[in-house]
Amino acid sequence: MVKSSLISIQDLRITSQSAEKVLISNVNLEIGKGEIVGLIGESGSGKSLTARAVMRLLPPDMKVSGKIFYKGTDVLAVNPKEHRHLLGSGIGMIFQDYRGSFTPFIKIGNQMIETIRTHYKMTKNEAKSIALTVLEEMGLESKRVYDSYSFQLSGGQVQRAAIAMSLALKPDLIICDEMTTALDVMSGERVLDYIDQIRNKTGCSVLMITHDLALAYKRTDRMYVMNQGEIVEEGLPEQIRCHHKHPYTKKLCSCLLALPAKKSIQKKRAYSV
Amino acid sequence: MRKTLSIVASRLVQLLIMVSVLSFVTFVLMKVTPGDPIRDLLNVDDVVATKADEEKLKKEYEFDQPILVQYGKWILNVMHFDLGESIISKRPVIEMIVSRLPATIALTTGGMVVLFLLSISFGTLGAVYEGRWPDFISRWVAMLGASIPSFWLGLLLIYFFSLKLNLLPVMGKGTLAHFVLPSITLGVAMAPMYIRLLRERLISTLQSPYIEAARARGLTKERILFLHALRGSLIPLITMFGLSIGSLIGGVTVIEILFSWPGMGELIVSSVKQRDYPVIQGYILIVGFLVVITNLIVDLLYLVVNPQIKQGKETV
Repeated sequence: MVKSSLISIQDLRITSQSAEKVLISNVNLEIGKGEIVGLIGESGSGKSLTARAVMRLLPPDMKVSGKIFYKGTDVLAVNPKEHRHLLGSGIGMIFQDYRGSFTPFIKIGNQMIETIRTHYKMTKNEAKSIALTVLEEMGLESKRVYDSYSFQLSGGQVQRAAIAMSLALKPDLIICDEMTTALDVMSGERVLDYIDQIRNKTGCSVLMITHDLALAYKRTDRMYVMNQGEIVEEGLPEQIRCHHKHPYTKKLCSCLLALPAKKSIQKKRAYSV
Repeated sequence: MRKTLSIVASRLVQLLIMVSVLSFVTFVLMKVTPGDPIRDLLNVDDVVATKADEEKLKKEYEFDQPILVQYGKWILNVMHFDLGESIISKRPVIEMIVSRLPATIALTTGGMVVLFLLSISFGTLGAVYEGRWPDFISRWVAMLGASIPSFWLGLLLIYFFSLKLNLLPVMGKGTLAHFVLPSITLGVAMAPMYIRLLRERLISTLQSPYIEAARARGLTKERILFLHALRGSLIPLITMFGLSIGSLIGGVTVIEILFSWPGMGELIVSSVKQRDYPVIQGYILIVGFLVVITNLIVDLLYLVVNPQIKQGKETV
């Protein structure tokens, strides 16, 4: 199915120890090199938990079992130091809450230098020139953004700076967790265009987590549908849209927003007058 | 920059208002409280002074004039940096205070260092190991510190470290060793609140999205804790420090008496006993001044810790 697998999640299961509840189970997911894969489902279906399991960012009271192979290494089994090296330099993540993408009281430039120098041995100036280059590539005014705090920029700019930050580390996989949800439509589209560009240019893979079915149809190569902690369907966007098998996918597709016909709007307006 | 200037300007106005109100109220209160420095001066060694002697001295110190006139004259002199003369020692008040101020500031700084070390270490320990044994130790240290009166702790420290182990000097000032016990006593008395506050704040900061993002970037644990989380948790501590400067100066007085530390606390206690009005008045003025200046530094520190305030997005 997937020609050359970059990351492969096998039988992932997450349980909450405090509530003694199974949060996600039997999650099997594969992302090939250079692929944009969508993981869709409603809020609380377990999409973000899956991503956080890869990043090992789950709260301590959650227990994870199963295997997550990244380039053949089980990320759940490596020691914290090795995993830390993997993060950033191998797997980057963009979060939904852009205000939380950067520490608010440290300038974006300094945080970029800090991150780059954590993963690569180089001088401050070398790191700075990399930071300025990737900011420029993201269509940002590199010098201004470099010298700004995150609260001085718009949501779209911060998200692009966050992408620039992970790009600076040359990742093989970028996980985007509802990255456009908090943005307005135009900014969201622009950010997604940049993700497309990066994939085409660098050949990295993208896991796009979203509840927006339309976005997933438009932007992904392959999709997984998640419901109540389980993956219920997998396939190409057209397959999911037109030939879905699972009742939940059917329900999800039927909820897809369609613009009302012109006539019905005019009618409504006439009544209200 | 504009924000910084406006903070400085508003604090300076505040300083003027506070110092005038404070000095006037204490001036009046001192005059109406029982006790009389003139009688204290005359009644030495059971020699009974006559009414005439009393009147003569009162006239000399201008105590016979209305309170408002006395206050007016005093404040005019203050504007020329003249705080008057001590009734008892006849020395200029400003000289008496200035000679003792460095000792008090040195002791307070020592106390601050101990306070800083204790609250950062135990506060961080409690937050990072939340619910585990280091957290319990941190809680016990805070509880113990809060329940031991500082003068008793000072006595205990003197007993063990000076008398029994003979490691540190009992009292006085001079070498670095003299700083150790008074600084520890002062720091331990203030630390519990800060330990608890830092712990609570750090726990919530460690769960904030920007810390999660820093972890996702693969930064080291130490870097995230000290450069991102700890700095993000400092604001309430700075606020509390600004609010507690008054009580800190009160606490220093107790410690100075206990360790015979030749600072302002010792001076003020003996002056109050002898009703040495000019010294008390001068002391209150200087302390009021110090409190406002420290609050100004605290406000400027906010700008360093949280640049959002500079943008006017948050208020001080």
